[in-house]
Amino acid sequence: MRYLFTFILSLLGFFAISQNKQILYGFDDVPQSLMLNPGSKVTQQKHFGIPFLSQIHFNGGSSGVSVYDIFKDGNDNINDRITQKLFEMKNTDFFTATQQLELLNFGWRAKNEIYFSGGIYQEFDFISYFPKDLAILAWEGNRDYLDYQFDLGEISTTGDFLTVYHFGLNKQITNKLTVGARLKVYSSMFSYRSVNNSGTFTTRLGDESSENIYEHTVENADVSVETSGYASLRDLDGASQVTNEILGRAFFGGNIGVGVDLGFNYDINDAWTLTGSAQDVGAIFHSKDVESYRAHGTYTLDGINLIFPPLSEGDSTFPYYDDLEDEIEREIPIDTLTNSYTQFRPVKINAGISYGFGRFSVSGECDCLNKGGGTLHKQNVGLQFYSIFRPKGPQMAGTLFYHRRITNYLSAKATYTVDSYSFSNVGLGVSAAIGNVNFYLAADNLIRYGNLAKAKSVSLQLGFNIIIDEE
Amino acid sequence: MNKTISHSIYMVCACLLFSACIKDTDFDQAEEIALTPIVELDLIYFNLRADQFYDTINSTPVLTVTDTTEIKFLDDSSLQESLKRAEFYFKFTNSIPRTFQVDFQFLSETNDTTYVAGTSVIEGMPAAPVITEFIENVEEDDILRLTQANKVVVSVTIPSSNESLEGTLNLKSKTTYFLEY
Repeated sequence: MRYLFTFILSLLGFFAISQNKQILYGFDDVPQSLMLNPGSKVTQQKHFGIPFLSQIHFNGGSSGVSVYDIFKDGNDNINDRITQKLFEMKNTDFFTATQQLELLNFGWRAKNEIYFSGGIYQEFDFISYFPKDLAILAWEGNRDYLDYQFDLGEISTTGDFLTVYHFGLNKQITNKLTVGARLKVYSSMFSYRSVNNSGTFTTRLGDESSENIYEHTVENADVSVETSGYASLRDLDGASQVTNEILGRAFFGGNIGVGVDLGFNYDINDAWTLTGSAQDVGAIFHSKDVESYRAHGTYTLDGINLIFPPLSEGDSTFPYYDDLEDEIEREIPIDTLTNSYTQFRPVKINAGISYGFGRFSVSGECDCLNKGGGTLHKQNVGLQFYSIFRPKGPQMAGTLFYHRRITNYLSAKATYTVDSYSFSNVGLGVSAAIGNVNFYLAADNLIRYGNLAKAKSVSLQLGFNIIIDEE
Repeated sequence: MNKTISHSIYMVCACLLFSACIKDTDFDQAEEIALTPIVELDLIYFNLRADQFYDTINSTPVLTVTDTTEIKFLDDSSLQESLKRAEFYFKFTNSIPRTFQVDFQFLSETNDTTYVAGTSVIEGMPAAPVITEFIENVEEDDILRLTQANKVVVSVTIPSSNESLEGTLNLKSKTTYFLEY
């Protein structure tokens, strides 16, 4: 138990992340901005991501607590700090972790001016809301919580490990409007979720008519865990077999799903631009290797009722304990189901409005970064909105940004983001071109870089591409 | 000017990459993390009628009645490690006009006695039940002996009995487990 607790705590701040890539969104100098808005303006003729290096993305966050809150160097006791945080945090606080690794990413502009792009990436996505009541029960026990209804419905967590194959189209259809769509095929390697749970656990002091001192009651419990890709792993021996089996599913060996990304870029006038996109509108259909567990029912435990039956020599009494176990299993059965289920992907919405000023033309004659038409501005300022649908409702973030094209080989974007984690998230992204090689690095929560332990979320994206601007 | 800006941005990036760190934290404190829940849990209960102390067929008193139940969770290895103290609370409500001696004998899987506890119960009246409370506190070395047990034998002894004896002896009990993980 203690190790589990330590493990969960050690995840804080390192892996707790949302999927917001506020710096990369609208950062047209980086081909991967097409992954966030398939309808964004494409400035290059072709791009090839360097395999396995074109996008490495980590994002981790915890909305209620930072590593520093727990592990700070001080004279007070770490257990007091945990107790204090336990009561400060709400059941809507959450821990998230996302990791993406692009295996392939490529794109080219066809003769009909459609920019085709496609690729493969692997994604891990985890979220767990803070089950405050159960944490208090585990941390303090029930002695000081008589009559308190511990809420079993606070358990809400999902985890996915999948490979995504995608192919998208992007076209400027009028002078002002560029649209794009991307079809995605998901191959789920491993997935679990435990959401929409309900029920309470209460310890009440019994009265004169009660059977025993207390009544321990589980009321209207309905707790389920759905898994896919897990049942077959149980029989495997050792980590290497499990790894091989999971990786084997990456190539359509797992459960398959489909989804789309849609997006647009609309130039309202020379200065103002409106953009928007929806990612991962789709679902995974879990039918292979599915195993779900559901416990439901109501039961009151009073202890063991001794009958004192008259026994002859050698007779044994009733199997009270086994009978009690059977009774609990009968009243709160744990069913194992193998029914298929459909899991909707967490839809992400991005929107932005930007104001551009200063015409960008490095060499005077050759407007090299401007193959897609329109006017490239030297500087842009604007607002962005991000939302991701999570089990307990959408999580949102608002970003103020400043984007500047400094030279034809260097541009940068700075962001200030307000989200569930903090009101002081400053991020910076840089895209640099050395010859045809594009390198980009985007990180947020820079104010916390001096001491990452104080950050409640960390997000990092970096990658290398080969970009070809000439026809 | 552009060069200056670009150089400064490179510098900032380089600084960020090399300066990001985790300070003022001590992860060795993880060793000190201790969950110390205090769990209240019902134990056994019974209602013994006065007539259970008299064999009407053979017309002989039954001076001691016993019953046994397994308590399998007690010798669970994780409980053995984490249990620091256990406090048993027994509440007898006696309306039988007799005193009683009640003994709790904890046995291991191989039926070796690992721990014993017992108390006497004050006599009551059918119209005026009397409450006797008994607390048994188990800690330190006794915890090790207690957690070797996986069943408990409850013996209730009456000094004398007859056919006309009336009333009930009721027991309610709970245990407070002081745990540390």
